[in-house]
Amino acid sequence: MKKIYREALTYILIGLFIWLIISIFSPSKGFEVGKVAYNAFVQSVKIIIAVFFFIGLLQVWLSSETLAKIMGKEAGWLKYLIASTIPIFIGGSLFSIFPLLSVLLEKGASYGAVLAFITAWSGKAPLIPLEIHFLGLHFTILRTVFVIPMALIVGILGEMLLEAWERRTIKVETAIEKVFEDEIKVEEEVERKVEEEERE
Amino acid sequence: MDVGDIYLIIALFLLLVSFFKDKGKTREVLKVVYKTTLTVFPVLFMIFILMGTISVFVSKETIAHWLGSGSGVWGILIGELVGAFALVQPAAVFPFSGMLLNKGASYATIFAFVSTAILIGVSTLPAEIKFFGKRFAIVRNLLTFFVVFIFSIFVQLILK
Repeated sequence: MKKIYREALTYILIGLFIWLIISIFSPSKGFEVGKVAYNAFVQSVKIIIAVFFFIGLLQVWLSSETLAKIMGKEAGWLKYLIASTIPIFIGGSLFSIFPLLSVLLEKGASYGAVLAFITAWSGKAPLIPLEIHFLGLHFTILRTVFVIPMALIVGILGEMLLEAWERRTIKVETAIEKVFEDEIKVEEEVERKVEEEERE
Repeated sequence: MDVGDIYLIIALFLLLVSFFKDKGKTREVLKVVYKTTLTVFPVLFMIFILMGTISVFVSKETIAHWLGSGSGVWGILIGELVGAFALVQPAAVFPFSGMLLNKGASYATIFAFVSTAILIGVSTLPAEIKFFGKRFAIVRNLLTFFVVFIFSIFVQLILK
C-alpha cells in the first residue's frame, strides 16, 4: 500500500481509537465528543474543500520554481522584499520547500533571502478562509501582516548571526592551525638539536 | 447561501479560468487537490475528535488559566513550545486553535502556537540539517522562536 494511504488510515484509526476508548468508559461523554467533532466538521467542510482547491491552484500557477526564478533575477533589497512577501501565497509543507531552497543557496542566493522566504511562507494565504472561519478576521489580518516584518527580521538578523558564527569558526580554526604550526616548529628545533649533539 | 458556498463558487470559477487557459496545468491542479485531500482530511478527522475530547474533558477555567490573557508571557511560551513539538498539518492548526480560543485562550497565545506550529518543527529538524547544515537550522529555529515571542507580545497589546 502506498505511504500516503497508510498514513491516512493511521490518522483515521487513531481518531476512532480515542473516540472508542472514551465511548466505552462513558457513552454520554463519547456522544458529546462526537457532537463537537461533527459540528466543527459540518460548519467548515465547504471552506475546507474550497481551500484544497486554492492550494492546488496556487501550487501549480505560482510554483516555488517560478518564484525561485524571479528571486534569482532580482538583486539586493528587492530580493529581500520578494522573499518576505510572495512566499505567503505558496502552499506545501516545510519538507516540500527545503529541497528547492537548498538548490537556490547552492546557486548563490544569500542565507538572508532563504531565511526570509521560509518565514514568509508561514503566511499561508491559501488557508486564509479557514483561518478567518476559526480565528476571526482581525486575527487573520494581523497575522498575515505581521509575517512580513517577521520575515525581514529573521532574514537580516539570521544572516548576520550566521556570518558572525562563520567568522568566529574561521578565527578559531586559524588559531588552532597556528598552535599546530608552533608545535611543529618546536619539534623541528628539538630534532635539529638532537642531530647536532649526535654529530658532536 | 453561507460563506462556504461563496468560497466554493470562487474556487470553481478559478478552476474554470485555469481550465480554459491550460488544460494540462488544470489536470496538475486536480492532482494536487486529490493529494492534499488525502493527506489533510484524515488529519482533520483526528484533530476534530481531539478537539471534541479536549472541549469535553478540559474545563474552560483550565485553558483560560494556562493560555488565557492572564497567563501573560508564560502562556505565550507554552503556546510556542506546544506549537514547536506538535506534529500537525498547517490546515489542522487553525481548527484546533479555534477551539482553544473559544475555550478562553488569548489571541497572543494562539498567535504563538500557530506561528511555531507552522515554522518550527522538531519533526522537520533532521531534514533541515540535511539540506542547510546544523548552523542554519539552529540559527533559524532559535531566531524564529525569539521573533515569534516578540510579535506575540504585540498581538497581546493589539488584540484583547
